[in-house]
Amino acid sequence: MANLVYLVPLFPLIGFLINGIFWKRMPKTLGGVIGCVAILASFIISLGIFFEVKSASFQGPLVVKLFDFIQSGNLNIHFDFQVDALSSLFLLIITGIGFLIHVYSTSYMGHDEGMVKYFAYLNLFVFSMLLLVLGANYLIMFIGWEGVGLCSYLLIGFWFKNRDYTNAAKKAFVMNRIGDLGFLVGMLLILFNYGTLAYQDVFAKLPAAHTETSSMYNWIALCLFIGAMGKSAQIPLYTWLPDAMAGPTPVSALIHAATMVTAGIYMIARSHALYDLAPMALDLVAVIGLATALLAATIALYQNDIKKVLAYSTVSQLGFMFLALGVGAYTTGVFHVMTHAFFKALLFLGAGSVIHAMGGEQDIKNMGGLRKKLPITYITFLIGVLAIAGFPFTSGFVSKDEILLAVYEHNKVFFYLAAFAAVLTAIYMFRLLMLVFMGGFRGTHDQEHHLHESPAAITIPLIILAIFSLVGGFVQIPHLFGGHDYLNQFLGKAGVPAVIHEGPGLEMKEWTLFGATCVGLLVIFLATKKLFAVSQFDGNYSGFKKVLANKWYVDELYDTIIVKPIGALSGILDKFAEKAGIDGLVNGVGKTVRWGGDRMRLLQTGQVGFYIFIMVLGMVALFTLGFFWIK
Amino acid sequence: MKAIIATTVFGVIMMFAGLWVNDKKSIAGLATFLFAALLGVTIWDLTTTSVNSPKSLFNDMLRSEHYSLWFNTIMTGCSLLYVLLMGKEVQKVGKYVSEYFALIFFILCGLYLLSMYNNLLMMFIGIEILSIPQYILAGSDKRNLKSSEASLKYFLMGAFSTGILLMGITLLYGAARTFNITEMVTLMHSDALNPLALAGILFIMIAFSFKVSAAPMHMWTPDVYDGSPTVFTAFMATVVKSAAFFAFLRLFQVSFNSLSEHWVMVLAIITAATLLVGNVTAVFQQSVKRMLAYSSIAQAGFMLFAVLAVNAVAWQGIIIYAVAYSVATIGIFAVLVKLKDYTYDGFNGLAQREPLLAFVTTIFLFSLAGIPLTGGFMAKYYVLLAVVQQGQLMWLVIFALLMAAISVYYYFRVIIAMYFKAGTPEISSPVTGGDKFMLVVTCALVILLGVLPQLFLTKV
Amino acid sequence: MDVLMLSAEQNTPFNYFPIALQLVIAVGFVVVMMLVSHLLGPKRKTEDKLINFESGIPSVGNARQPMGIKYFLVAILFVLFDVEVIFFYPYAVNFKYLGKEGFLEVVLFVAFFLCGFIYIVKRGALEWED
Repeated sequence: MANLVYLVPLFPLIGFLINGIFWKRMPKTLGGVIGCVAILASFIISLGIFFEVKSASFQGPLVVKLFDFIQSGNLNIHFDFQVDALSSLFLLIITGIGFLIHVYSTSYMGHDEGMVKYFAYLNLFVFSMLLLVLGANYLIMFIGWEGVGLCSYLLIGFWFKNRDYTNAAKKAFVMNRIGDLGFLVGMLLILFNYGTLAYQDVFAKLPAAHTETSSMYNWIALCLFIGAMGKSAQIPLYTWLPDAMAGPTPVSALIHAATMVTAGIYMIARSHALYDLAPMALDLVAVIGLATALLAATIALYQNDIKKVLAYSTVSQLGFMFLALGVGAYTTGVFHVMTHAFFKALLFLGAGSVIHAMGGEQDIKNMGGLRKKLPITYITFLIGVLAIAGFPFTSGFVSKDEILLAVYEHNKVFFYLAAFAAVLTAIYMFRLLMLVFMGGFRGTHDQEHHLHESPAAITIPLIILAIFSLVGGFVQIPHLFGGHDYLNQFLGKAGVPAVIHEGPGLEMKEWTLFGATCVGLLVIFLATKKLFAVSQFDGNYSGFKKVLANKWYVDELYDTIIVKPIGALSGILDKFAEKAGIDGLVNGVGKTVRWGGDRMRLLQTGQVGFYIFIMVLGMVALFTLGFFWIK
Repeated sequence: MKAIIATTVFGVIMMFAGLWVNDKKSIAGLATFLFAALLGVTIWDLTTTSVNSPKSLFNDMLRSEHYSLWFNTIMTGCSLLYVLLMGKEVQKVGKYVSEYFALIFFILCGLYLLSMYNNLLMMFIGIEILSIPQYILAGSDKRNLKSSEASLKYFLMGAFSTGILLMGITLLYGAARTFNITEMVTLMHSDALNPLALAGILFIMIAFSFKVSAAPMHMWTPDVYDGSPTVFTAFMATVVKSAAFFAFLRLFQVSFNSLSEHWVMVLAIITAATLLVGNVTAVFQQSVKRMLAYSSIAQAGFMLFAVLAVNAVAWQGIIIYAVAYSVATIGIFAVLVKLKDYTYDGFNGLAQREPLLAFVTTIFLFSLAGIPLTGGFMAKYYVLLAVVQQGQLMWLVIFALLMAAISVYYYFRVIIAMYFKAGTPEISSPVTGGDKFMLVVTCALVILLGVLPQLFLTKV
Repeated sequence: MDVLMLSAEQNTPFNYFPIALQLVIAVGFVVVMMLVSHLLGPKRKTEDKLINFESGIPSVGNARQPMGIKYFLVAILFVLFDVEVIFFYPYAVNFKYLGKEGFLEVVLFVAFFLCGFIYIVKRGALEWED
C-alpha cells in the first residue's frame, strides 16, 4: 500500500484540475461531490498506508521514488515521498479531517455562487498540504509550504469583493513570506553544508546528539524556525491568523486550525535530529511558544467575534505545541497537533453552524441562549470546549497534561506560566460557551426567528469530530490510568524521540496534575460565570480589559514602528532617490540603449562590400588581440 | 550512419517526386512522411549505439558519439515539427515545392556530418552541404527582389567565409600534420604554441563565427533573414544555426580544449560583441521579422557560452539551448507567416482576433526572453552554468544577464501589441484546427523543456 | 640583426619578421618604381588614346549587356560533369589496388551523378528553345 502513496496527493490534484477548469460551467452539487470523493479516496489510501506502517513488518522509513526533479552539477534532487510514522499520521489527520470539512462545506457553501471554485481551492490546498508532509526532502516540503500559503491567500480572500477581506489575505501572504524567507535561507544553509536536501541524507551526515557543537546547527535551526513562526503564527508573526478569519468558516477550520498552521510543528518534528544539536534554537522555540501561548490567551479573553476567540485560542494552542517541541518532547507536540485538530476543527465547525443559524452574524454580543434552538451544535460545541479546556479524559486533557508534565521536568518557571496559560484557555472558552449558548438571546427579532438547527451535512461532521475529541486521547493515556504509549511507540518507529516519563515522583506528579485540573476547572467554571456576568454583557470594555480587547495594540504597534516608518521612508525615497536617481538612471540606460540601437542600425548599410570590410576589420582586430594582447 | 544515407536518398526521392507529381499537397504529404521516417532512422541509429563506445566510421572520418546521435535525433525532431507547422506555407513560396524539401533533406545531411565529423575535411564538407542549399532557399522567391538580393549576399559572404575556413584548416594542418581532430590534440603542445596553429584556430573561429552569425561577422544575418522567404528563415535561423554551433563546440571541445588559454579571451570578446550588437540593435527594429533576425544574433551570443566553457555541462547546454531556441523560434515564425504585416503594428489586437495564436506567441516569446518555467530559461541557465563552473569570465556572465534584461524589452513589445493595443490584424491564410493543434503541441514542448529539461538530456 | 638571430631559436611570431620585411621591400619597390615612372615620364593625352581598344576596330556599344541565362546554366553544368571526369584519373591509377570494393564505390558515385543528369534532363535545363 505504501508504494501507492503517490495516489494520495494525486486524487486531490485531479479534483482540483476538474473543478478548477470547469468551475464556471459545472453544477454546484457535482463540484462538491468531486471535491469530497477526491479527498475520501485519499483518506482510504492513507488509512491503508497507516495500518501498513503500524504493522510490525514495516521496516523503517520508506522512500518512494517518483522522478528526478532537479539535476545540475552536483546538485541532485529527486521528487520522492517519504512514508513513515510521522508522515502517515499527518496523512490521516489531513485527509480525515479534510474529508469531514469538505462534506460540511457542501452544505455551508451551498448558496455561494463560487462554490465549485471554492472546492477547487480546497482540493488544491489538500494536495499542497499532502505534498508538504510527504516530501522526502526540504525542497518538496517547501513547494507544499508555498502551495498551502497560496491556497490560504486565495481562500482568505475568497469573498474578494470585500476590501477588508482582501487586505487580510494580503496580510497573511506578506507575513508568511517573511517566514518563508527564513525557511529558504535555512534550506540554502543545509544545501551548502551538506550538499543535499533529502532528510535521510542530511540527518545521516549529522553527528550523534551532543557529541559536537557548532553554531551552524543553531543557525539552520533558527532559520527554519523563522519559517515555522510565519506559517504557525508565533510571535512576532502571529497577527495574520486572526485576520485570516475573513475566509469562509470551514476554511478557518481546515487551514487555520487543523492542518496548515501545524506545518511548522511538523517541520520541526521532522528536523528533530537537527534541533537536538541546537540547544539554543530549541530554547528559543520553547520561549517563543510559551510567550505566544500566554499572549494569545490573554487577548482571547475579551474578543467579541466568535471566530476571533477561536483564532486566538488556536494561536495559543500552537504556542503550547511549540513549547512541547522546545522542551524536546517532540511526540507530545505532534500528539497535541492531533488532538487539537479534532477539537479545534470541531469548535470552528460549531461556530460555523452558529454563524449559519444567525444568518452571518459573528458578534457574540448579539448571541446568547442558543442551546435550545441548536441542540446538536450546543452539545458538540460543549464537548469541544471541555476538550480544549482539558476536562479529564478528553483528548485535550491527555495531550495538554503530557505537555505540562514534560515542561515541569524541563523548567519549573515555564511550567507555572504554561499552567497559567492553560487556566486562561479554560476561562475564555467557558466565557465563549456561556455568551453564545447560555442566558437569553440578545440579537434582533428577525435573527431569533431565523434560528434553526443546521442540516445533516453540517451536524454529522460535528458529531464525528465530537466523538474523536472525547476519545482521541486514549492512544496516549498515561500509565497511571492503565494506558500505553501507543503513539509514542508508533512515532518512535519514525525515529521521533519521546520524553520518557519515569522515576519515582512520576505518579505523584500525575495525580497532582489530575487533581489540580479537576478542581481548577470547577473553580474556573464558577468564576467565569461570575466574571463575565452573561446577563449584563454588552461587549464594551474599559481599562485593562480594553487593552486586551484591542489585542495589546500589537497591530497598531506594528503599524507605528514598521509600516509607518517604511511608508515615510519610501515617500522620501520616492521623492528624491526614485524620481531623480533611479528614474534618471533607468531612463538614462533606456535612452542610451535606444540611442545605441539607432546608431548601430545605421551600420547595416546593405552593401556587401561594406559588410566584408567590417568583417576584415574585425578579423584584423581579433588577430591582433589573439597574438599580441592576450599574453 | 544510416541517417546520412537515408537523408541523401530521401532528398533524391524528393527531387524526382517533383518531376512526376504535380500536386503540391501530395508532395508536402510525402515530405512529411519522409521526415517522420528519417526521425525513425535517427532513433534507430541512436538505439543501436552503446553509450560509452563511439563507433568509428569510414577510416575514422566520422565518429558517432552518443551525444552526436542524440543531437541528430532532436534536430530531426525539430525539422519534423517545422514541416508539420509550416508544410502548408512552403507550398506557397514558389513552383518547385519538392525541390525545397529536397534541399532541406540535404541540409540535414550536412547537419549529420557536422555532428559526427572526426576529420577537418568532413567538417568542411559538412559545412558546405549545410550552406549551399541555404543559398538556394534564400533566393527561392524568385519574383521578389529582396529574396534574390538575400541569396546573392549570403552566397558572396558565405564564399568569403569558406575561404577563411579553408585557410584555417590549411594552417592547422601545417601545425599538426593531420586532419584528424582527435589525433591533433597530442600533436600540438600548449606551452609553446605554434603560431601557425594559433592562426589556424583563429581563422576557424572566425569562419564559424560567420556561420553562427556572431559579431563582427554577423552583418549578413539581418539582410538574409529579412529577405528570405519567412518559412525558410525559420529553418535557417534554428536547425541550421544549431548545427553550426554543435560543430563549433565539437571542434573546440575535442581538439582545442587544452589550448583554451590562448583563444578563450578572443572568443569572449566575440561573445560580448555579439550580445551587445544583437540586443541593442534589436531594440530599434520596426519589423518583427527583422527583430527576430537580430534576436537570433543575440541568442547566438548565449550559445557561444557553451563553446567558451570547455566542459561537460557545455554539451548539455548546447543541446538544451538548441532545442529550446529552435522550438520557440519555429513556433513564432509559424505564427508570423499567418500574418500579412510583419511590423509590430501588424500584431495589434491579435489577442482579440486569434486568442490562441496570441497566447502561444506569448509563451514562445517568454521562452526566448528566458522567463522561468519555459525552455529558454533552462537553456540560458545551463549555458551560463557551464561558464560559471569554469570559474572565469564572470564579467561576461553578468554582462549577458544585463543583455538578457534588454531583450525582454523588444520581446515584450510584441506581447504589448497583441494584448494592449487595438487593431485588426490581417491574417494571410486561415488558421485551421490542425495549425492550432500543432501550435499547442509546440507550446507544450516549450513548457515541458522548462519544467523537465532532464527529459532532453538523459542521453548526454 | 642580433635580435633576429636570437629569436629565431624560439618559435614566436617574431620569426616572421624577415618575411614581413621582405614583403614591405617588395611592395615598396613596385610602388616606388611606378611612382617614379609616373612622375618622370612624359604625358600626352589624346581622345584616341583614351578609348577602349577592341582588336583595332572601333568599339560598338556597351560590353555589359544582359545575355541568356542558358549560357551560364550550360557552362556550370559542364563544369560539374567535367569535375566528375577528373575523379576518374586517380581511380584509373589505383584501379587494381582498390579492387572490387573500389569499383562498387565508383559505380555508386557515377549512379548519383546519373541521377543528377536524369534530373536536369527531365527538368528541361538543357532544352535550348523555350
